[in-house]
Amino acid sequence: MTTTAVKIALIAIAPLLLPAATVEFNRDIRPILSDKCFTCHGPDPANRKTTLRFDMEAGARRAIVPGDPLKSEIVRRITAEDKAVRMPPAYAGHDRLSEREIDLIRNWIEQGAKWEKHWSFLPPKRSASPEVRDSGWARNPIDRFILSRLEREGLKPSPEADKTTLIRRVTLDLTGLPPTPREVDAFLDDGSGNAYEKVIDRLLASPRYAERMAIRWLEAARYADTNGYQTDGVRDMWRWRDWVIDAFHRNMPFDQFTVEQIAGDLLPNATLDQKIATAFHRNHRTSGEGGIVPEEFRVEYVSERVDTTATVWLGLTMGCARCHDHKYDPIRQKDFYRMFAFFNNVPEKGLVYNFGNEEPAIKAPTPEHSHRLAELDHTTARAEQRWKALQPRLEKTQRKWERSLAKARAIEWSVPDGLVLHRRFKDDDSGFDGRRYVEAGAEANFNYMEPFTLAAWIKPAAKDGAIVTRMEDYFEGEGYGLFLLDGKVRLHITRRFTDIGLRVETESAVKLNEWQHVLAVYDGYRYASGVKIYVDGQEQKLKVLFDDLNFPLGPKEPVRIGGGGGEKLRFKGAINDVRIHEIALTPEQAWTVPLSGPVNEIAALAPEARTHAQAARLRLCFLDRFASKNIREAQKQLFEARKERTKYFELIPTVMVMQEMPEPRPTFLLRRGAYDSPGERVTSGVPEFLPQLPEGSNRLGLARWLVDRANPLTARVIVNRFWQMYFGTGLVKTVEDFGSQGEWPLHRDLLDWLAMEFMDSGWNVKAMQKTIVTSATYRQSSKVTPEGFERDPENRLLARGPRIRLSAEMIRDQALAASGLLVEEMGGPPVKPYQPPGLWQELAGGKGYAVDKGEGLYRRSLYTYWKRTIAPPAMTTFDSPNRETCAVLEVRTNTPLQALNLMNDVAYLEASRKLAERMLRDGGKTPEARIGHGWRLVLGRNPKPRETELLAEALEQFLEYYERDREAAGKFLAQGDSPRNKKLDARELAAYSGVASLILNLDEAVTKE
Amino acid sequence: MTRRYFFGRSAAGIGTAALASLLGKDLSAAEGLPGLPHFTPKARRIIYLFQSGGPSQMELFDYKPRLTEFAGTELPDSVRKGQRLTGMSATQSTFPVVPARVEFARYGESGAWVSELMPHTAKIVDDLAFVKSMHTEAINHDPAVTFLQTGAQIAGRPSIGSWLVYGLGAETTQLPGFVVMISPGAGGGGQPLYDRLWGSGFLPTRYQGVKFRSVGDPVLYLSDPPGFPRENRRRYLDVLAKLNRLKLEEFGDPEIATRIAQYEMAFRMQSSVPELTDLSKEPEHVFEMYGEDARKPGTFAANCLLARRLAERGVRFIQLFHRDWDHHGKLPEGLPKRCKETDQPAAALVRDLKQRGMLDDTLVVWGGEFGRTVYCQGRLTADDYGRDHHPRCFTMWMAGGGVQPGVSYGATDDYCYNIVKDPVHVHDLQATLLHCLGIDHTKLTYKYQGRHFRLTDVHGSVVKKILV
Repeated sequence: MTTTAVKIALIAIAPLLLPAATVEFNRDIRPILSDKCFTCHGPDPANRKTTLRFDMEAGARRAIVPGDPLKSEIVRRITAEDKAVRMPPAYAGHDRLSEREIDLIRNWIEQGAKWEKHWSFLPPKRSASPEVRDSGWARNPIDRFILSRLEREGLKPSPEADKTTLIRRVTLDLTGLPPTPREVDAFLDDGSGNAYEKVIDRLLASPRYAERMAIRWLEAARYADTNGYQTDGVRDMWRWRDWVIDAFHRNMPFDQFTVEQIAGDLLPNATLDQKIATAFHRNHRTSGEGGIVPEEFRVEYVSERVDTTATVWLGLTMGCARCHDHKYDPIRQKDFYRMFAFFNNVPEKGLVYNFGNEEPAIKAPTPEHSHRLAELDHTTARAEQRWKALQPRLEKTQRKWERSLAKARAIEWSVPDGLVLHRRFKDDDSGFDGRRYVEAGAEANFNYMEPFTLAAWIKPAAKDGAIVTRMEDYFEGEGYGLFLLDGKVRLHITRRFTDIGLRVETESAVKLNEWQHVLAVYDGYRYASGVKIYVDGQEQKLKVLFDDLNFPLGPKEPVRIGGGGGEKLRFKGAINDVRIHEIALTPEQAWTVPLSGPVNEIAALAPEARTHAQAARLRLCFLDRFASKNIREAQKQLFEARKERTKYFELIPTVMVMQEMPEPRPTFLLRRGAYDSPGERVTSGVPEFLPQLPEGSNRLGLARWLVDRANPLTARVIVNRFWQMYFGTGLVKTVEDFGSQGEWPLHRDLLDWLAMEFMDSGWNVKAMQKTIVTSATYRQSSKVTPEGFERDPENRLLARGPRIRLSAEMIRDQALAASGLLVEEMGGPPVKPYQPPGLWQELAGGKGYAVDKGEGLYRRSLYTYWKRTIAPPAMTTFDSPNRETCAVLEVRTNTPLQALNLMNDVAYLEASRKLAERMLRDGGKTPEARIGHGWRLVLGRNPKPRETELLAEALEQFLEYYERDREAAGKFLAQGDSPRNKKLDARELAAYSGVASLILNLDEAVTKE
Repeated sequence: MTRRYFFGRSAAGIGTAALASLLGKDLSAAEGLPGLPHFTPKARRIIYLFQSGGPSQMELFDYKPRLTEFAGTELPDSVRKGQRLTGMSATQSTFPVVPARVEFARYGESGAWVSELMPHTAKIVDDLAFVKSMHTEAINHDPAVTFLQTGAQIAGRPSIGSWLVYGLGAETTQLPGFVVMISPGAGGGGQPLYDRLWGSGFLPTRYQGVKFRSVGDPVLYLSDPPGFPRENRRRYLDVLAKLNRLKLEEFGDPEIATRIAQYEMAFRMQSSVPELTDLSKEPEHVFEMYGEDARKPGTFAANCLLARRLAERGVRFIQLFHRDWDHHGKLPEGLPKRCKETDQPAAALVRDLKQRGMLDDTLVVWGGEFGRTVYCQGRLTADDYGRDHHPRCFTMWMAGGGVQPGVSYGATDDYCYNIVKDPVHVHDLQATLLHCLGIDHTKLTYKYQGRHFRLTDVHGSVVKKILV
């Protein structure tokens, strides 16, 4: 860019910025003071060098004499030639204020130096729609606000866009997809006065509308399928994504939409859906990086919730107040931590699980899941009933069998289920002397998510020793092991001793020099709560020593009896009858393991004389070997039914949600924002300059406060983002910042009108979209005249309709739709469409990205699997936010990488081929007609003769080439998984595919105009 | 209205009259900000050899003979001073000191100490400035790498390369201004990297680093599909341009002009990038210098050679990442392998640049995200030990581009635990790198969410003593 160009542009833009006759503090003065003075003379006391401050009237009186600029110190300072006197000082990185800025300040003081509270902190007011000369143009109040400004600027609105342009524009805007030729025709043929409105109603009712609305919300909510930090493990949050789509589809009022996402869990009798909604604030990035200080990251998560809430609902940059008072807005550091307190009571971990959802998480069945689960419950209940009905018979036959045992031969029985290792030593070989251990093979290679049971008879001669292990042979080694330590029975499952593993021990010690039976059960769900230890068949009270097993093990060592855990832990005493099961034994099973001797002996006892263990053994033995087929069958069915139910239940997705701890965590102001530097204790609350909440309010209170009519920000911030969706730029361009560094709204009256309208309609989201897209403002043609462009290059005044590049997901979805590939299915787990191979491996190793087969390739882009650290390139190339943090500002660039993507990505080549098939099949007989058909499928309109002519030339050249090289045609058509229409001539299809690709690459194709 | 507007939207704002000339002009080379560089730069570009995972300073460059004396003893509290450790070793029952089990010697006129693991680097020490007093605030990989790349531990800000291209633009019209290349260690493992490390944060996405890949297209989607030769692409683009021009005439939107130009740029990249990555014309002696690995695409050696070719073509910021320096355990096995993979090519790059007279205006930087602990992590045996992350000190080296050759700056204590002289914080390093390119780090700012952000946050001072 040359300097000349810069100058030209500055001149071109200048008219927008000319000061109005009357200086307005909020519009004209505050932005200068904020940007240039507040750093040292603003809200943050730490930076204030003197008592002089310009963020409030009282603090500035010393430097400002209303009505008299010459006596005002501020004017002397900003105009001073002497650098030592001049403000702002060079050391603060500022140049001298511009003449324009100086004039504004002078005029303002001359006019009485009137102060105002920052505009967005005052409640919105519904002003009367302004008078306009061309009142016939306006279709709704939006237009009167826009037109009145245009008339003031001496500009005229553009004529309405033609009908095909309009239907493509509004269909893309409301559904993210292009209109079909049939939809275009229906609109063109509909001469009724409300034809356009009918289109709007049809679009708003479409599920595609909900998907289109959802994606911007997902970006704001930093939704993704992985955790984000370091190894970027997987998570499952799609049930929340589907909740969002459903909410937009049902047109959930925005206040309810807000309350449920912020605090649905705290609503009385919260439904499953309301709990799922709270996943909003579990969408932030989390770290599973080994070795982090968990509290450091937990604080990060909570802070992130404050930032995101402030950006999404309040348009405030609260994050600036995390380490110090805000430099520009009246947000004290304390206010940040008062907001922090609302989100600080989640029973969550700083170091998270890398292979799935971290707690708190809930099962989030879809209706289909619930239905299937109910069926399985029913089957289980029936099996239980049948089992119960058989009990008398079971009792009877068992008693009969027991009686028969008196004369029968001796029956030995022990639990056979899942037994993978059983080692019995001869009595003279069961001694362990503190040096000996026995290697017992490579069985029992359990990982951290697999259940197991370890059991043995021991006669310890010392308080410490390894009983049975499968781990590296030192105390902190990787693997699992059952030990005696200080006489207590201990189970270790260790990945890395210092921070990844699980360790529990019995509260009481075993006896020395006596035979006792020890048995440990682990349920395979990676928590200490899933461990049980029995001594002599009695379940023991346990002490949890460490409970953070979140990573697979890699033990390559054999099973060792009496060893493992290092030389100091070789067993002293005797060990015998070692058993390892690859299941978690039930308590009944576990009780029986220490018992030996023929079951006949138990049968000989009177039933009331038997211990519960003996009774269990007798019953289990009978069921295992002697019960009638009928009974065993019924038991098997019951087990199978339960197993199937469990299996299905485990497949049901979970979602991470918000929960409150019974006792809230105390919240402290953190000095410099550091987790380990607590200052004063604070209670929950909102910044003082906003309407206040009752003391002691919780998250639900905050949620309701966000959408309280008294809150001046939320409605404005939300309608401003809606506006941005249609016009590319918000009425306040800084959609993320409504504070004093944000942009003064170009149409404050209109913004307020929209905000009031939104609230008065009961926060009706669909109605608000309809109001915007039915306005004459929206319906204008987007053609630009040179004068119009020079006058308003960014189209902020809206003397023409919006003409902006489609967003990333729209570009891809349009290609899928126009080519007929799009699979219109709502919701479900994320899908993995095409992505160049190797992208994941080169950064993170592993198996990489497995491209889907079939439908997963053709779903709308909002369902694409989103790995945060390696985001889908076809999305980020087109400026899609990376989902690392909350993103609300729409950004559009124009780069060569985008051109390469659209021309050469297999997704677009396949879409071109399928579009070409449609052109050949449905487009008619002539090349012109076929070109016209493809053109209409993408652009909605018919091509102009010159356009058809140019494409026909290209077609001719491609045809000529593929006539010469038939093999090339085959190669070109081999893009993508979808089968090619073999009825079509390969050469012709290849040539048409080239043309179809051309159409998809047109500027108009990637632009909403 | 600010310059942000222009750089965000390139061609817009120029007026229709200027559009015609724009069509012939290249738009992809990001143009720098007016007023930059702030002063005459010493370097025009940076090649940053990032050693990801955290190479051990005391096995490579920071020679600590007294550690042999301390071997096996507990790290004294007077040295550790209660400083925090990672969760991986904080609860270890013992913190035994383990000395480097490699030989050190002095090299060159500067007499720099270098370990036997880096024989090639040893030969170029008189061209290098060692900084032995680097320190960082982060204790784990993700925040630490992010800190070096963006000046903040929590991801979201622009990377250093993006800042440079935003501020200075590029000196090429054929290639991106900021290129990234990655090589795994031969084990293929190591700490993962993330696209955001070369992301543009809140700067427009056009300033983000472009990853040159060794598998498939060097630049994503660069190659035309099979069965669609260049002649077809040329015709295709001609027709596309004509159609887009019709649209431009009708709608007058300068974005259309930009799009036409970007498609032409894409077409040129389709030739210039393969020409760049084609090493077949490099003479034999070059491969001898960089090592045989340089013939294998995707190795650190091949990437070093490519880095020189990128530098020759005017790319502003070239960043290589070599993975797998994270030696928590099995350090005696892993570390020599990483050295073997990187030592020769890194030294060759410096020599090569020097021979071509490019070292004067190219700044080469070598280093990881933190150092490693002097105490053993995990099991200490006769032939095995590991070291945990150590943010308190680590060593980096720089060469060329305004940096004094043959110097060593800063010093650590006998335990290689704390810095005793001239500490250099990550923000200081960043300030220094910008300085070498003629940028006052306090003045390269971008307003986002109401605040004027910069790479060095509100910190950083230029390490003047190592500059020429």
